[in-house]
This record gives sequence, C-alpha cells and structure tokens, in this order.
Amino acid sequence: MRGGWGPVLALSKRSVVNTIRQPQFVIPSLFFPLFFAALNVASFNKSIGLPGFPKVDSFLDFMLAATVVQGVLFGATGGGNDMAVDIQDGFFDRLVASPVPRWSILVGRLGGAAALGAAQATLFTGIMVLFGASIKGGIPSFLAIVVVSVVLAVAIGGFAVALALRSGSAEAVQASFPIFFISLFLSSAFFPRQLMHGWFKTAATYNPISWMVEGLRNLVIRGFDLGQVGRALAVSGGLGVVSITLASLALRSRVRSA
Amino acid sequence: MSAATETVRAAPDEGGSLAAVTAKLAGRSLMLIPRVPSTFIPSLVFPIFLVVAFSGAFSALVKLPGFPVPKMIDWVLPMAIVQGAAFAGITTGLGVARDLEGGFFDRLRLAPVRPTALVTGPLLAAAGRSLPPYLIVLVVGLLSGARMPGGIPGALVLLVASVGIAIVAGGWAVGLALRIKSMQAAPLMQVGVFLLIFLSTAQVPLSVMTGWLHTVARFNPMTYVLALGRQGFIGGLTWHESWPGLLALGAGCVLFTLFAVRGLRSFTD
Repeated sequence: MRGGWGPVLALSKRSVVNTIRQPQFVIPSLFFPLFFAALNVASFNKSIGLPGFPKVDSFLDFMLAATVVQGVLFGATGGGNDMAVDIQDGFFDRLVASPVPRWSILVGRLGGAAALGAAQATLFTGIMVLFGASIKGGIPSFLAIVVVSVVLAVAIGGFAVALALRSGSAEAVQASFPIFFISLFLSSAFFPRQLMHGWFKTAATYNPISWMVEGLRNLVIRGFDLGQVGRALAVSGGLGVVSITLASLALRSRVRSA
Repeated sequence: MSAATETVRAAPDEGGSLAAVTAKLAGRSLMLIPRVPSTFIPSLVFPIFLVVAFSGAFSALVKLPGFPVPKMIDWVLPMAIVQGAAFAGITTGLGVARDLEGGFFDRLRLAPVRPTALVTGPLLAAAGRSLPPYLIVLVVGLLSGARMPGGIPGALVLLVASVGIAIVAGGWAVGLALRIKSMQAAPLMQVGVFLLIFLSTAQVPLSVMTGWLHTVARFNPMTYVLALGRQGFIGGLTWHESWPGLLALGAGCVLFTLFAVRGLRSFTD
C-alpha cells in the first residue's frame, strides 16, 4: 500500500462510502434535478411548438442533458465538503503523516466524485427514459453522456477540493455552491438559446455551461455525433484541467503547512 | 441576565400585554437585519436572481396562447417578491432555532410572559422582515422593465400577499423549530416552502401547464395567493381574482400560527 494505485482505490472507496453514508447530501443531489425536470416538463411542454424551438418529441427530451448536468453540479461539491471535514477533524493530517503518495489524497477524492457522477448520469437517464424520454443517439450517446458526466464531476469536484484545501472549512465549500447554480441558470440549460433575447442571450452564448449542455442535448435530440461529444468533453475537460491544477497547488500548499 | 431578557421581563410592567411582549420580541428579531446581514441577504438576493434568470431564460413563453402578460418579467416579479417574503418567514424560524440551540429561548420561557408571545413575536418579525425585500425587489423589477398597469392598488395587494406569506412561512418555520429544537430543521423549512411555491403558477399560468402539475397547481392555495398579488401586473383589481387569495392567506395564517403555538407544547418541563 506504499505507492501506486492501492491507496487511490482505498481512498476512492472511502470517498464513495462517505457519500453514501450522508443522505443529507445524496438525496438533494438526486431529488432536486428530478423535481426540476418534472416541474419544467409540465410547465414548458407547450413551448416546444414555438417557432425556433429545436425539433423534439417532448420537453422531457430537451431537459435530459440539463438534468444530468444539474445533478452532477449538485453532487460533485460533496467531495470538497468531505475533504474540508477531513481537515477539520484531523484525518487529513494523519493521511499526510502516513506513507501514501500525496497525489493519491487528491486522486482518491476525485475518484469518488467520478463514481458519483457516473451513477447520477446513469440513474437520471434511466429514470427519464422510463418516463418517456428518447435518446436519438442510442447507446453510444448514453455512454458519451456518462463519460462527460464523469469528467464534469471530476472538474467540479476539483474546484470544491481546491477550495476545501485552501480554506479548511466545510462552510466555505458549501458557500461556493451558488456559483455553480448561477452559472447553470445563466446558460441555455433550461431553454433554447434561439428563443432568448438581449443581454441574457449574450450571457448564455458565452457561458461554457451552455456549450457543454447543448453538446449533450444534441446527442439526445439529434443523434450520436463525435463533434458534439468533443464539444462537451472540451468544456468539461478544460474545466477539469483548471480545477485539478488549482487543487494540486492547494494540496502542495496545505501539505507544506501540515 | 442579558439586556434582551430584561427587556422582555420588563414588558408586563409596561402594561405588558401579549401585544407589548410580541412587539418587544419582534423588535429583537428585526434588530438582526443590520447586525447580522447574512440572515437577511438571502431574502433579497434570491428573488432578484429569480427575476433575472426566469425573465431572461423564459422570455419567449409569453408568446404561448393564454399567457396573460406581454413580458415575462411581469409574470415573474410578483412571484419573486412573494418568494422573498417566504424566505423572510423562514429566516425568522431559523432565528428561533438558533435561540433554542443557544439557550436563550429557555430563558424566555422562564420569564413571566405569556407563552403565546414566544410565537407571535417572531411572526410579527416575519411580517416586518418581508417589507424590505418587497420594496427593493419591486423597485429593481420596475427599473428593469416590469409594467404595473394596476398602479398603487396593485402594489398594495402584492404587499398583502407578501406579508401574508411571510406569516404563513414563519408559522411553518417556527413550528418546526419548536418541535425539532435545532438548526437541523432548516432544510425541512426550506423544502416545504419551496414546494408550496413551485407547485403552483409560479412559472406559468394554469392554461399553459400540462399533466400532473396542472392538477396540483389548481388545488394549491399558493396559486390563488399569486393570482391576488399579480393582479396589478396583469390589469385592474377584481373581487373575483382577490377573494380566493385572501381566503387562502387568512386560512394559512390561522392554521400555521396554530401549528407554531402548538409547537410550544413539545416542551415537557
């Protein structure tokens, strides 16, 4: 267990078990995206007939990608919260004192976020298909959605872990949640950009969350397309590179001061 | 003994009726607005965010047949103001939960005041706390392009809806705080109010809804409270649109005040 992937697997498993044992974090990340999906489908289903609305069978098809992304955003900050708790209760210091590679502390935590992201994407897609959503791209599109969700979960988890390592405070991590929430609402996640106007349309156009959600949505409502997969992966992967860099720097700084 | 407890103890000597103690406790709660702004800011920021996000993202919905306003902000603004008032009610409940955790509530219970005042005080504070979000969000909305053809009477019925919802949400939150006796009641307070608001005509009118939501919203009293508050943004006031909302608010205030008062019975000592 001194090096390699053993500690990573052990810490990832601990991260997943931590998440499962905290229903106060798991349930909202499952309930709210599904609730919003049900609410928006019943509220906005008639809007699919508006001129300019992308061709879809129902608003449920349109909402699928947004629901998955919303769930991942909700859930991925939990990893950062757990890291902050580890710092507060001294577990982090014991990990640093133990003979495990430093990077496994970070990768183990992000591995847990990745597993939760994959589970959420599978669950949300499954439930929405049960309620009548159709994925035009079939299994390849579904797999692409899961892969992008995993990358996004790592990216958002990376930001949350970086914040936890810098602040050492679970409250600070929780307080960061509105930033992701606002980013999602100022995008085209819940309504097509073609039907927006003015500054809001401009904000949604330049919001990377829009590019990612639209890429995933096109896999659902049009069919499998490597270009759309690349578009969604480019955004989530780009966010991941930035967040993991920040988290690595924060880890180095925290280990030095430990 | 803290100054706050002395203030409350002094109330009966000042002609110390239920009303006097209620006013003292409400004043103490309202003092937190300047002293701990973090307990107040969410009731201001969240409604403004709702106005921006909903009126921007869903602006095209007004083109649907049956949508009664020309711009989405006219539909969203009253809902956001009512939402802010509900937040104000929840914040008051959180204040009671904080007092319970900190032991201040126990000292209040030992003071020679009528127990009912321990509920009516926070509820009066909830009504007071709903006024700043009402004024600020209304002004922000009007400056952002909302139209209110109903004029001053329209603004007044929206005020009635806001204050009423603050008391209803306050009763719910205080009742939960008294039963759970901890800040852990917070998610339950918020989810209850969130569901009440969003399972109504918060986003779109009944005529635009489909499926299960149409049925739920039709029986949700919040639909009628929002109809009351929105009149000034749709046109003139009518009794036909007003009385169901007034009835829902009146019944809600009575029921949730009773819910909160009965929460006092959970103290066995």
